[in-house]
Amino acid sequence: MRHPIENYFPRLRVGDYQITSPESEAYNCIAWAAGQSDLWWEPDPFDLYFWPPEAPRNLTLGAYVKAFGVLGYVPSQNSDLEPGFEKVAIYTDLMGKPTHAARQLPSGNWTSKLGELEDIEHETLDCLSGSSYGSVALLLKRPIQQQTS
Amino acid sequence: MSYAVPGGRATSRLLTEERYVPADPQSPNKPLFTGSSQLLVARSHYYLPMSRQRQSVAERFRELLRHWKADVGPLSSATEMAMHPAYQQIIGLGNEAVPLLLRELKKEPDHWFWALKAITGVDPVEPIQRGRVKEMAGAWLRWGKEQELI
Repeated sequence: MRHPIENYFPRLRVGDYQITSPESEAYNCIAWAAGQSDLWWEPDPFDLYFWPPEAPRNLTLGAYVKAFGVLGYVPSQNSDLEPGFEKVAIYTDLMGKPTHAARQLPSGNWTSKLGELEDIEHETLDCLSGSSYGSVALLLKRPIQQQTS
Repeated sequence: MSYAVPGGRATSRLLTEERYVPADPQSPNKPLFTGSSQLLVARSHYYLPMSRQRQSVAERFRELLRHWKADVGPLSSATEMAMHPAYQQIIGLGNEAVPLLLRELKKEPDHWFWALKAITGVDPVEPIQRGRVKEMAGAWLRWGKEQELI
């Protein structure tokens, strides 16, 4: 039986992904890719949501690169799993406007928060490509952060 | 003060965009129409035709809400959500939508902050709360109570 999210992402196939959280309006994909699940990151023009103050507050790929740059991310050549690094993929629509971000897991799979819907773990970046999110426009990477407790 | 279109046959021209002038510039307080209430009724129909009066603001709000929720699920941008035609029409409902939006926020925090700020012109959310959806909702609900809207 098809899950409703497959209607938004026709390339998602049962077995290629798993749902890993309940729906939530508390955070979006950008926050989730940045490692936060209690904030909504967005460079909105109304100054309503969180956005790193060091990054331009506009909906451009450059602004997203700056925002992730604050967290230590730099451009990456590919989406391959690299030991010691974690990666983020930024999707844009046909106009070049950022629509989504996914973060690579240590397994090489990717984790995505789908708007206000669930988080999913997916094997490929391409499975979220399409009319909702466009396609991957940029890959970023940073050394894996040491956990402090 | 009563107003009429110069040149008579005022009723046939009530629905035009023409600028109204006092009926009698020499005695502007003298009403032209004895049935001035009819003018008010005609005016109300101009601004809110019967076809739109059939649905209350609350009913219209619920209908728009359903459309919006059905469409915005995978969107990761609250700005894109706010650009949705149904959301824009909710903003268009104006001040009457504010208590409905606040009740919706109380029921389930969601991205109504753009609409509330656009309609009311205020933003009770502190800078440190930006992006914390539950805290943003809480700030708006406190504001709504202060304004006796909920």
